[in-house]
Amino acid sequence: MFTHNFKYSLKTLFKNKTLIFWTFAFPIILGTFFNMAFSNIEKNETLSIIDIAIVENDEFKNNKVFLETIKTLSDKENEKRLFDTKYVDINEAKKLLSNKKITGYLILEDTPKIIVNSSGINETILKYVIDEITQNEIIINNIINNKIKNNVYTDEIYNEVMQKLESNININHIQNQNLSYTMIEYYTLIALACLYGGILGMSSVGKTQANMCSTGKRISVSSTSKIKIIFSSILASYIVELIGIILLFLYTIFIIKVDYGNNLILVILLSVVGSLTGLSLGILITTVLKSNFNIKLGIIISTTTLLCFLSGMMGITMKYTIDKNIPIINKINPASMITDGFYSLYYYGAGDRFYFNIISLLISAGIMVLISLFSLRRKKYDSI
Amino acid sequence: MKNIIEVKNLTKKYKNLIAVNNLSFELFEGEILGLLGPNGSGKSTTINCILSLLKFNSGSIKIFGEYMEPNSSGLKRNIGVVFQDIALFEELTVYDNIDYFCGLYINDKKVRKKYIEDAIKLVGLQDFKKFYPKELSGGLLRRLNIACGIAHKPKIIFLDEPTVAVDPQSRNNILEGIKKLRDNGATIIYTTHYMEEVEIICDRVIIIDKGEIIASGTNEELKCLASIEEKIIVECNNFNDNYIEQIKELENVSDVSYNNNILTIYYTKGKNNLISIIKYLKKESIEYNKIYSCLPTLNDVFLELTGKELRD
Amino acid sequence: MIVFKTFLKVLNKCKGIIIFETALLIFFGGYNIETNDVSINFVSSNPNILIINSDKKEGITKNLINYIENNSNIVDIDENLIDDALFYRDVNYIIYIKDNFRNNFINNNEIGIEVKSTGDYQSSLAEMMLSRYLKIASIYNEISNSEEELISYIDNTLQNKSEIETTSKLNTEKLNKATVYYNFTNYCFLAGSIYVICLVLSSFRNKNIKMRTIISSMNYKKYNRKLLISCSMFAITLWLLYVLLSFILIGSIMYTTHGLLYIINALVFTFCTLTLAFLLGNILKNKTVINGIINVVALGSSFLCGAFVPMEWLPDYVINIAHILPSYYFIKNNELLKTIEVFNFDTMKPIIINMIIVIIFSGLFIIITNIISKRQRKID
Repeated sequence: MFTHNFKYSLKTLFKNKTLIFWTFAFPIILGTFFNMAFSNIEKNETLSIIDIAIVENDEFKNNKVFLETIKTLSDKENEKRLFDTKYVDINEAKKLLSNKKITGYLILEDTPKIIVNSSGINETILKYVIDEITQNEIIINNIINNKIKNNVYTDEIYNEVMQKLESNININHIQNQNLSYTMIEYYTLIALACLYGGILGMSSVGKTQANMCSTGKRISVSSTSKIKIIFSSILASYIVELIGIILLFLYTIFIIKVDYGNNLILVILLSVVGSLTGLSLGILITTVLKSNFNIKLGIIISTTTLLCFLSGMMGITMKYTIDKNIPIINKINPASMITDGFYSLYYYGAGDRFYFNIISLLISAGIMVLISLFSLRRKKYDSI
Repeated sequence: MKNIIEVKNLTKKYKNLIAVNNLSFELFEGEILGLLGPNGSGKSTTINCILSLLKFNSGSIKIFGEYMEPNSSGLKRNIGVVFQDIALFEELTVYDNIDYFCGLYINDKKVRKKYIEDAIKLVGLQDFKKFYPKELSGGLLRRLNIACGIAHKPKIIFLDEPTVAVDPQSRNNILEGIKKLRDNGATIIYTTHYMEEVEIICDRVIIIDKGEIIASGTNEELKCLASIEEKIIVECNNFNDNYIEQIKELENVSDVSYNNNILTIYYTKGKNNLISIIKYLKKESIEYNKIYSCLPTLNDVFLELTGKELRD
Repeated sequence: MIVFKTFLKVLNKCKGIIIFETALLIFFGGYNIETNDVSINFVSSNPNILIINSDKKEGITKNLINYIENNSNIVDIDENLIDDALFYRDVNYIIYIKDNFRNNFINNNEIGIEVKSTGDYQSSLAEMMLSRYLKIASIYNEISNSEEELISYIDNTLQNKSEIETTSKLNTEKLNKATVYYNFTNYCFLAGSIYVICLVLSSFRNKNIKMRTIISSMNYKKYNRKLLISCSMFAITLWLLYVLLSFILIGSIMYTTHGLLYIINALVFTFCTLTLAFLLGNILKNKTVINGIINVVALGSSFLCGAFVPMEWLPDYVINIAHILPSYYFIKNNELLKTIEVFNFDTMKPIIINMIIVIIFSGLFIIITNIISKRQRKID
């Protein structure tokens, strides 16, 4: 009886196009959109070469420090190249700026002067580098003044200081290397898929309930034990959900190249537990609300969207903002638990935080299943 | 005769509405019992209570001498139900639908296979095994709906308005099938609001209105209940209301009505009535095209008992 | 009139779900504009830095901290959240000053500093700032006789700065906000109109009702036109709602020519979403399919055309695909508006062309709708 119902539950779930769309196709489509939109973001985040112009007046030509430093920074061979520099006259510079061909231009007068269009990151860097060159000039003067005890200025001293200025200060970086925050998008996507699994639970459990579905009446009057039917239906929807999640994982790992950290076993554990929670949420909504299939479908989809929004799907920092201000919301939001589980695994590695999420998910799944069973167990109804 | 189902003083209330009021009846082995009543009279509620799907306020229900409970799987094994609304999986084929519901009762695959084939044959769906429900016409859907309910060869079958919205041909087909089921040894409770069906197939009828039994017995017994034995219908042209009072004076006449050129005369006794009315019509020179006598129908019984037509 | 009245009645039936969806959209929209989300805007150019000092705040240590503080946004973060903050770019650069930094630096030129960096623009800037200071300090350290002398050398050098002049008179921040807001409305308009209009139309297109309207004496074109007018009432209400919201959220800039153009651009696009919704409403028969299509169409257009992620950050192939969607031209206009300083024919030309393209799309949708509903007059 268990396998009989199980087999047919699988069959009905796989044949239902609406269910398969939401649980299988939609997360993959959304993942594809994410990939299209986000694949370039982090590349853009690092410094790119800034187009600038320099007004080639006498002051500039005579200023050794400026001349040489800018030359070095614009050198195509230089790994640390910052600028693509054009040496032009003032009118040409103005024209370039108004056509937005350059970020800004430099005029060397009494003090260096930078003209830019608006404020922004490139403008800030330009200003910063010019400041640095200005300050280098002072350092050189100060050092030379200090070293020249016998008033002899030598190129040697100049070169020595320049060398020091161009050398790098080694600062020890201790941050974690896994800093790719767009991964959060894909983690929320997995959370979304897990929660959409609730649709499967809703469909397969709903069909066994006499007060929700006409087939449920037939099942209720049959001689099979109701608990067996309910559990085999839930198991069937769980398996369909896991198949969907596996497909999504394969897609995100091999096509989109999402990084889930390096502990595959725990990734699997988290998705298995996460799917269970999603399924329980779906079953809870099915049993608690009294409305038809389409309205319940709408409610599961909207709830999931809201929960995923809170865990950062529409703005990556959302989850962090909530963690900082009202952490309790994320502690009870299953989408956040799943997202945070993947995040902590990726960023911190397996540890307390990860297991805390696993346990939270299990507890909330348990609570939701208990509440649902309380109502599912019911065999006689006040009205049908 | 052995009684199979015994309902005693069943009462079911929904908030303000009393759906079933102190209802008692029995179902005897091998019969087809018709539950007749207009929509909303409490037929389906009664059935759902017997099936222990619904909680009821008071009364008792015994099946095969045992109280029916949601967990009485032994009892349930012997019961088959065809609900009013079509209860099928859109995602499964005709064959799979029957197999699924039959499988809830029968574990053995070989037996089940045979049973399914029998059910398909019974309702005449042999050519549609691989079809999906949405590809079937209304009549075929109803037949499939019945097949799903009876495939496991139950001893008691509940049929809740199985012929709603079905064309006459399909309906006859279904009614034939139901007779076959009875002939194979099943006992059947059949609810409907079509009295013709009841007259065709039911051995015994219970008429329900507003949750109460207003009459019960065989077709003939019921008809005797009404004080009418014959009904004569005349299609006439130059009739006017003045004649009505005169006709009422004739022997055995209990009631007369005239509507749209149709004159209906009800008689308390059924002898020589046709002759006397023809005489009268000749005497008054009333022209008529057609005149015929018929026996009263259950509809007339119902009309007499409740003062309203059955069909609304 | 009767068509319109029925439309309103059907609309009224699904008001619950409509209000819910709209509230959700407004909430999303409001959040996205208010947050300084890294994935959305980069207005602030000073890096957010957190300094964790284990040394005493004296002498050179104090000077370093002051320097960093004066040139960046110092953020204060709960200790437990530091790593999260780094990941989510709430802080770009964390500087750990080790115990005894001051002594080790003065005496041995040793740099007792560790950092955590996000590796983005701002963190690069922060690192430039820090290494700049350390470099200067270590160079002067060799020639200074005392800490005071060192500090005065450093201060003296670092106070020299170049002059900067900004030519643009635009209120970049406000305009940026308006663009972000109106880009986001791309999703709202699409999801909102398609959802509601499809839902209502699916009631009108219900097979039985449709059979009735087909046999009625009303010409199918006239019938479609009336439905279209009813739907446009709804679309215009939606547009007014978002325009009103933009005045509340963005404020002053909306009263300028820029604001007017944002609003007109949105209106043109609203018209286009209306015709698209009308087309989809005519194709889709099943209510359960509607939800799926909305999400794919609305999210797809929004992601591909840069409603959520700035257009300039999208890969080229995505932008190429986006050209076939009306959303692209709507968003492109919002982006153009942000940069226009003077309104004249030359600057307005690309904007007007984009609007015309959006209108052409709408015309196309109307034509297809009419062809389809002409065919559908016979039910198969």
